[in-house]
Parts: sequence; structure tokens; C-alpha cells
Amino acid sequence: MSEIVANQAERKNINVFFGLINLAVAFVVVSGLWFVFLHPNGVMALYTPMYGFSLLVAFVASIVLISKVTDFYPFAGPSLGTVSWGLVRTIAAVAIMLFLVYGFFWGFIGRFGITYFSPYSIIAAGGVGAEIFNARENASTAIVYLLTAFLWVALTWSAGFGQWPWVGVQRGPAALARIGIVGLLSTIAYVVLFHPHVCYLFFPAQTMAGVEPWWSKWAMTSSAYYNLGLLLSILMWVIVSDVLWEGYPWRIVDRKGQGNLWRGLFTLIGTFVLGILSFMALLAAMNIFWLEPFEGGQYTDAPYFRYLHAGEISTFVALAAFIVKTYFGNLVNGPNIWVRAALRTVAAAIGGTLFYLFYYSSLSTFLLGKVPGIAQPEDTPLVWTLLFLSVVLIQADFFAGWPLVRKEK
Amino acid sequence: MERRDFLKTMAITGAAASSSTALFSGNAEAAGTLDIGEVKSVKIDVLSETSWFSNDNLKKSMLDYGGASTNQYTIPWDADNAGGYSSLITVTTLDGKDHKILMDSGWSNTWMDYVYEMHGIPRMLRNGEIEFMVLTHWHLDHYWGIESTLKHNPKIKIYAPATHYPEDMALLRDKAHHKATDKEGKQVPICKNDVPHTGELVLCSTEGEKGEGVYKPLPGMAIKLFDVPILLRVRGENVLYFNVKDKGIVTVTGCCHPGILSLFSEARRTFKDYKPYGCYGGLHLTLFETWDPKFDDVIRGVKSFGLQKVACNHCTGWLWAEKAAEAGIPIVKGTDKYKSYKRQSAVAKATNVFLTNGDTVVF
Repeated sequence: MSEIVANQAERKNINVFFGLINLAVAFVVVSGLWFVFLHPNGVMALYTPMYGFSLLVAFVASIVLISKVTDFYPFAGPSLGTVSWGLVRTIAAVAIMLFLVYGFFWGFIGRFGITYFSPYSIIAAGGVGAEIFNARENASTAIVYLLTAFLWVALTWSAGFGQWPWVGVQRGPAALARIGIVGLLSTIAYVVLFHPHVCYLFFPAQTMAGVEPWWSKWAMTSSAYYNLGLLLSILMWVIVSDVLWEGYPWRIVDRKGQGNLWRGLFTLIGTFVLGILSFMALLAAMNIFWLEPFEGGQYTDAPYFRYLHAGEISTFVALAAFIVKTYFGNLVNGPNIWVRAALRTVAAAIGGTLFYLFYYSSLSTFLLGKVPGIAQPEDTPLVWTLLFLSVVLIQADFFAGWPLVRKEK
Repeated sequence: MERRDFLKTMAITGAAASSSTALFSGNAEAAGTLDIGEVKSVKIDVLSETSWFSNDNLKKSMLDYGGASTNQYTIPWDADNAGGYSSLITVTTLDGKDHKILMDSGWSNTWMDYVYEMHGIPRMLRNGEIEFMVLTHWHLDHYWGIESTLKHNPKIKIYAPATHYPEDMALLRDKAHHKATDKEGKQVPICKNDVPHTGELVLCSTEGEKGEGVYKPLPGMAIKLFDVPILLRVRGENVLYFNVKDKGIVTVTGCCHPGILSLFSEARRTFKDYKPYGCYGGLHLTLFETWDPKFDDVIRGVKSFGLQKVACNHCTGWLWAEKAAEAGIPIVKGTDKYKSYKRQSAVAKATNVFLTNGDTVVF
């Protein structure tokens, strides 16, 4: 797909000063959106947290669906200008998000197929905890998991397999084919990695629908945060290699730059290995700060928190990677790919660290209305990060970087 | 061993696992060195563990006004749903002398006045028989009923978390009458205290007194602040530890927000010759009677500590207590005394796995 090339583009002519201004404006926009939709004492107060989390994941998934999976089909062409297309795509992403959550999951799958995807079906089924708040949180948890699996598969496919095996196929059929394969693989990933957790969210556990969480023996938790954290760690490398490393090293096996089977497998395995390594490194670092977690521990002592936190840190870095590319033209543009990739990665790591420090600072407590401290069970930085990410992605992908980047004549 | 299995599994798919193993084997199980002395026994009378009467009502208030992270002082709570959490702790020291401690002061003054009268608390406060009060944390159901205590003894010594907000201190010291705004814009009274505290206030920090990390108001007793973020914009919880002679450490909590295993683990890291014996209090698990796989983790974890007596109530959740009892954890059963109170919690069950209102446990 064309994006696979676009994402690996060399440094664009972006003025760092204007990039900083754009980033500051984006931050203000994110803060405003947070107050309207998520702030506990704001307008809609959707950060419960899982309900707001599910809407944000659905929004990012919608953006990725339009930009990476369908390659902007049918939202591209000469009929509209950059800004007009940006607006149309943004409206389309919002519409898809609303359809996914309220139509597809709550109204269709949850109503006619799998109970736990709809809060109303959970309540109708009765039993312990079947009331709206808890039912909505549980349905939202399932949606978050499924759409996280989607993001992983979609971005890995985009970065590795690219147009394969539909090179030369018309855009419409190719887009539909990619929706099919990404949807299928996401469903399989969800069923194996997350469905057992959701089945054990209820009492009694839904043992005929899902196996007992198979990772609980070695992960010291039955929570699928283990898989979520690992997946987010892998996803970070998919994004970093795609956005900052210009597709290297995976594109070594892809001379045409369109994506192929070998590049796809190389990307899949390579990012998996890198993800495990960074996941373990982050867990080890947390052990130094908080000592070893233990089964049944809570807050920073909880194994499930440590896994989730590794994913949260990875997502901070992923956000910083997008910012380095979108607002600073990838910063470094020397002749050696390995050097510039390394320097950009360092910049993203520093950016991720700054986001981390911000999120757990008093400023964030004030701006976001959250409880100070780390590991509050009702708080995950993933929601704020996803909101920020969605703003960056909309500008970068839907508006082609406008107004920071002007179309070359 | 399971931790090692985990690392080995990781090693198959990722390099560098072996080098990380050293980092994973932290010193979480390092033994503590702090000697707090011993007590002969600890008796706990449950004055009220019913902080609210209807889960659905409480949750609706939270849901309607911003969710679990909302500032508790901005929610127009339903006064009729308010109860309170409070216990009377009698510590017998090695010299045979009894020391009475009040743990928390509940929520509704109406409810707490009623509960206190049932148990003769006003008299014990007036004549100084209750030596001091420990406020575990600043949550409404543990603290907003403070007037019920202070009106009988405004000079009582109080140990409270240093992690307070201005509204908390105004209620304690400045005759505050807090109100919250409802959806119609109406100001709803939510809590008040007309009797300012004039006694000694020990604001507990994580450093503790003398830098030991704990406060030691009696020989054999320690108070430790866990500075953790808690729902409804509260921070920090005081936990009480008692070292009972020939038995071991008894952990007493208000809500156990830091997590019961974390409290045990901290005790192991802190106290000399740590031997777990029992625990009492809200364990903050299936608070709203809903399940999550992480509660299975807690059951497995608590079992591994080999406690002799687990007396739980309040925010533990009946569901967790029942499953824990089924799993072989020595849950101390309650009685039907709670039925003699004029109101009961909507979730109370015949299984009596809660040590509930009017019940007593001795460690």
C-alpha cells in the first residue's frame, strides 16, 4: 500500500520551532477534549475508566482502519483538497467509532452472539454484578481487548505484509480483502489472548465459553493485562520501526517497498522478539524500583499492574515516535540509516520519558482530574495517550500534516 | 518456582532472559529488623461495618457525578444510604492492662450516634477510656461521621494520614458544613462537624516517627501509612499491626486499599521475626459484589501466607469471602447479631462469612 512508502519517507522540511508550536496546540486540544469527554468533573465524565477507554480505542482503531487497512479507500482522490478530505475522514472515523461501540458491539454482536459485548445483554442475563455500571465496564473491557488485538494485527500487517498478496488489485477489493484478513487474525488473537480473562470477569466463571487463563501459572495473575502489556510492547516496536526506522530492518527483504510475505513474517517475528525483550527489561526495571511483585499483590505489587505498566510505558514511547515524525520531521536525516534510526529512537525514548513524568506529575493531576500516584486501579495513562495519539494521527494521516506541512506544488 | 518457569518460558522466545533473571530475583522477601515489642491479645468489636446500605444507590451517585476518580466532596450523596465504618480495638499489653482504641468514625452522624450508643462508646470517650483514635483514611464512610466522636471528646488524640486535602482539615478543625451541587443546581449538605478537634493530631507520613517508617503508640503495636492513590480522590491509608505474643502479626485495616498481600509483604520487610497470624477489616476486593480474575490471584496469595484467622467485612465483598472460605482460607464466621441493628446491608447473607455489626474477634 502507498502508506508503507509514505511512512518511511525521509525527513520533510519541517521547522522545529513551528513543530513545537504545533505540538503545544495539539496538547491544548487534547486537554480540551479531555475536559469535555473524560475529566471526572468535566462535561461527559466518560473516564470510568473502561467506558472511556473503549471509546478511545475504538476511535484509534477507526483511524487505523481508514489510513492503514483500507488505504483511505474511499476517502481519497482529486475531488477534494487536503483540508476537506481531512474533515471528511475525521467525521468518518467518529462515525465508525460510534458504529463499532454502540452498533456493532452493543447492538449486534452483544445482542445476537456474545453476551458480554453488550451491557444490556449482561444485565438481561442477570446474576451477580449485573447492573449498568459494572456491566458497561465489563463490556468495555472486552471491546478494549478486541480492538487492541485489531490494532496490533492491522499495524503489523501494514508495516510488514503491506499490499501482499493483493499487489495490483483495485483499491476497493484490496481494501475489503485486508479488512477480512485483519479481522480474522484479530479475532483469533483476541480469542486466545483475552477471551479467557473476560469469561472469568463473571461469577460464576463462564467455563464452558472460555478456558481458565492459561498464562496464570507463570504470569502469577489470571488477568489478561499480561497479554495486553506484552502486545503493547510489541506494538511499540512495530510503530518505531515503521515510523522512525523507515521500515528497516524488515524492508531489507522487500526491494519493491510494497510489502511481501517475507517482510511480513520478518516484521512479525522481529517485533515480537524486540517486544519481549523490552517487556522484560521494563519489568526488571520496575523490580528495582518496587521490588518483586507477588501473586495477589495490588497496586505496584501486582503482577498484572507491572505488565500493564510495561504496556503503558511502551505506548508513551509510541506516542513520542509519532510526534518525532509528525512535528519534527523525524529530526535526523543523515546518510546512514542505522545512525539516524538510533538517534530518532533515542529522541522517542526521551519523549516517552517526558510523557511519563508529565502523567504522574501534579500538573497532570490538575489538568486531568486524576488521583495523584501510580497504579490507582481506576486509572491508566493509556486513555490519555490514546487521546493524544488520535489527535496526532488525525493531523498526520487525515490532514497530511496540515497546517504544519504544506502540499508541495 | 513459578516465577522461574515464567522466566524460562520467556527465554525460549526472547534472548537475554538469563541476564534478566538476576534482576527479577529482587529482595521482596528480605526479612525486616524492626522490633515493635509484643502484646498479649487484641480484641476487635465491630461497631459498624455497614458503610452504606445499598451498593446500587452508592454506585449510582458515583456514576452520575463523574465515576470513581471524582472528588468525594463534589458528589451529592444520598444521606439516607449513609452508614459508617468503625471498630473498637482493645489491646491487652503484656502487663495485663487493657487499652482501648477507636478505629474510624463512620459516615452518617445519625447512624454513628445510634451505633455508638449501642456499644457505650460515648461514655468511653467522655471518661477517656478510649485512649486515642486511628483514622485509617479520609474516605467519607470512615471519616465524615467525625462529629459523633468529637462531641464526646474533642481533645481525643488522633492518628490520621498526612495525605489530607483542605476539605478534610476544614471538617476536622474549622466547623465546616460541606455541600455538593446536584444536577438541578441545588446545594445538598453532605457532611458537617460543629465540634472542632482540639487535641493532638498526629499526621502519619511514610517516614514514621524516628524515621522507622511506623508509629508506635503502644508496645507491640505499629501504625504504618501506605501512600497509595485511592478512588474518590483520596490518598493514603493507615494500617495497624499488632505483634501478638506466641502467635504472630495481626494486620488490622479500614479498607485495605494498598492490597492485603502488600500489607503482609510490607510487614515481612519491616518487622523482626515476622510470622503472619491473622487479619481483620475491609479487604477492598469484591466491593460491589462483582468478580475479576485478579481476585482469584488474591485468594491464592492469601493462602500462601498461611494465616490462622481471617476476619473480614465491609469492602471485602461477600463474594470474595465466600470463595475464600471455599478455597480453605480460615475465614472467621460472624453471627446474626447484625440483625439486632435497626438497619442491615442489602448484601448480607446467611453464610455469615463476614464478621459483621456487633460481632467480635480475638487474636
